[in-house]
Amino acid sequence: MTRKVEVTGLNKWFGDLEALRGIALEVERGEFISVVGPSGCGKTTFLRIVAGLEPASSGTVIIDGRVVTKPGNDRGFVFQTDNLLPWRTVLSNAMIGPEVGGRTGPEEKRRTLDLLKLVGLDGFENYYPRQLSGGMRQRVNLARALAIDPEVLLMDEPFASLDAQTREIMQTELLRIWEQGRKTVLFVTHQIDEAVFLSDRVLVFARRPGRLQECVEIKLPRPRSLGIKRTPEFVAYVDHIWRLIEDDVRTAVIHEHV
Amino acid sequence: MWEGVRRNNLAGTLSVVGGLLLWEIISRFLVANALFLAAPSQIVNAIYELTLSGEMERHVAISAAEFAIGYVIASVLGIAIGFGMANSPSFKQAMQPWISGLYATPTIALAPLFILWLGIGIWSKVLVVIFLVLFPVTINTEAGLRTTSERLIEMLRSFGATQQQIFFKVSLPSALPFILAGLKLGIGRGLIGVVVAELFGSRAGLGRLISQSADAFNMPELFAGVIVLAVAGIAMTAAFTSIERRLVPWTRD
Repeated sequence: MTRKVEVTGLNKWFGDLEALRGIALEVERGEFISVVGPSGCGKTTFLRIVAGLEPASSGTVIIDGRVVTKPGNDRGFVFQTDNLLPWRTVLSNAMIGPEVGGRTGPEEKRRTLDLLKLVGLDGFENYYPRQLSGGMRQRVNLARALAIDPEVLLMDEPFASLDAQTREIMQTELLRIWEQGRKTVLFVTHQIDEAVFLSDRVLVFARRPGRLQECVEIKLPRPRSLGIKRTPEFVAYVDHIWRLIEDDVRTAVIHEHV
Repeated sequence: MWEGVRRNNLAGTLSVVGGLLLWEIISRFLVANALFLAAPSQIVNAIYELTLSGEMERHVAISAAEFAIGYVIASVLGIAIGFGMANSPSFKQAMQPWISGLYATPTIALAPLFILWLGIGIWSKVLVVIFLVLFPVTINTEAGLRTTSERLIEMLRSFGATQQQIFFKVSLPSALPFILAGLKLGIGRGLIGVVVAELFGSRAGLGRLISQSADAFNMPELFAGVIVLAVAGIAMTAAFTSIERRLVPWTRD
C-alpha cells in the first residue's frame, strides 16, 4: 500500500478561536476514511484545509508527496449543498472542473457522460438543476467532483440535506461507485452509522479545540449492503463511537441553544 | 396551465375593450366637449391623420432617437460603473454618495437647465434620459454582482479557477437577471425623461406634439401622442420580457 495523504501537526486558529489542534493522519491509497464529531469540532475546517480552500495556521497536508497550498485537480470536492450553476445543464455542470482546467474536448464529454451514467443520471444530461430532486442534484455534485478524475475525493456532509430514505440509497450508491474506482475518500459526516457503514476507518473528532480523539478501524466485510446495519458488529461500532462523543455532543447542543 | 393563460387573456381583452367602450360613451355623451376629452375613435382618427401628413413620423423619429441614444449610453455606462463598484471597494465608496443622491433626486427637474446648456435640440433630452436610466442600471448591476452566491464561487475555486474564470462563469451569469431588470426599469424611466424634457422646450418629438396640442386645445392629437408613447412603452417592455425569458430561463418560475 502507498501513502496517499499525510497530515502532520495541523493547527488552525480563527482569530482567538482554536479550531484544530495537532491533527496528524496518514491515509493509504484507496482507503475510505470518515470524520465524525459534534458540531464545532472542526471536521469541515479540516476537510477544507485538505482541499486547499482554507489555509492552515501551521502544519502541513501532503498529497502524493506534494504540499497542499491551494485547490488543485488532484482533489475533487463534494459540497454539502449541491452548488450547481442554475443556468447550466446537468452535463455542463458536471464538466465545469475539466472546463476550468482548459479541457473541453469530445473525450472529456464522453468521460463525463459515462460518469453521469455511473451516478445514475443516464438520460438527464440536458436537464437543468431546477428540474431535479435533491438526491439527483447531489448525484451531479458527485459526478462533477469525479469528472476531474481526482486522486482524492473530499466529501463534506454530502447527504446531510437529503431525507432519511434517499440518504440510505445514496450511501449504497456511493459504495457501489467507490468499489469501481477505489478512490481515496475523506468523508465528513455527523451521522455515525453513515460513517461506520462507508468507511475503513472512522476518525472521531472532539471539540474545543477540535482534535483527533480516536481512530476506529471498521473491520466489516466488503462489499457491504444496507442489511449490515442490523448486525451486532455494526451496532457495536456505532455504540462505541457514540459513547466517545456523547458528552461533547451534549455540551455542543447546550452551547448552541444558549 | 394553458387554460389559465387563455382565461387571463380573455379577462384582459374584455377589460380593455370594456374600458374603451366606456371611454367612448363618456366622452361622446357625458362630457360631450372636445376641449376636455377625446373619444377613442377620434384619437384613432387623429393618429391616422398625423401619420398620413408625415407629422407623426417626424415626432416619433426625434423622440426615438433621443431615447435610443440616451438609453444605450446610459446602459453601457451603468453596467461599466456597476462592474467597477462591484470589483473595487474604494471606487464604490467614491461613487456611492453620488449614485444614491442622484437616484433619489428628481433629475427630470434639471431638464430646463440642460436645455439652457445644450439648447432645445435632441442632446438636452438625451442627457435627461441618461440621468434617468443610468442609476437603476448601475445599482442593479452592482447589486447583482455583489450578491453572487459565495458557495458557487467556492465551488469554482475548488477546481482551481482563476479570478477571471470565476467572474465569467459565475458572477456574470448570476448578475445577468439583475442587470436585465435594471435595463427594463430604465425603459419606462427613459420614456418619461424624453417626453417631460420635450415639454420643457423642443422643436419636435412626442412631448412637443403633446404640448402644442394642449396649447391648441386639440384633444385628439394630445391623446394621440400619449397613446403612441404608451404603446411604445408596452411594446418595448414586452420585447424585453421575451429577451429575458430567453437569456435567463433559470429565473422563470
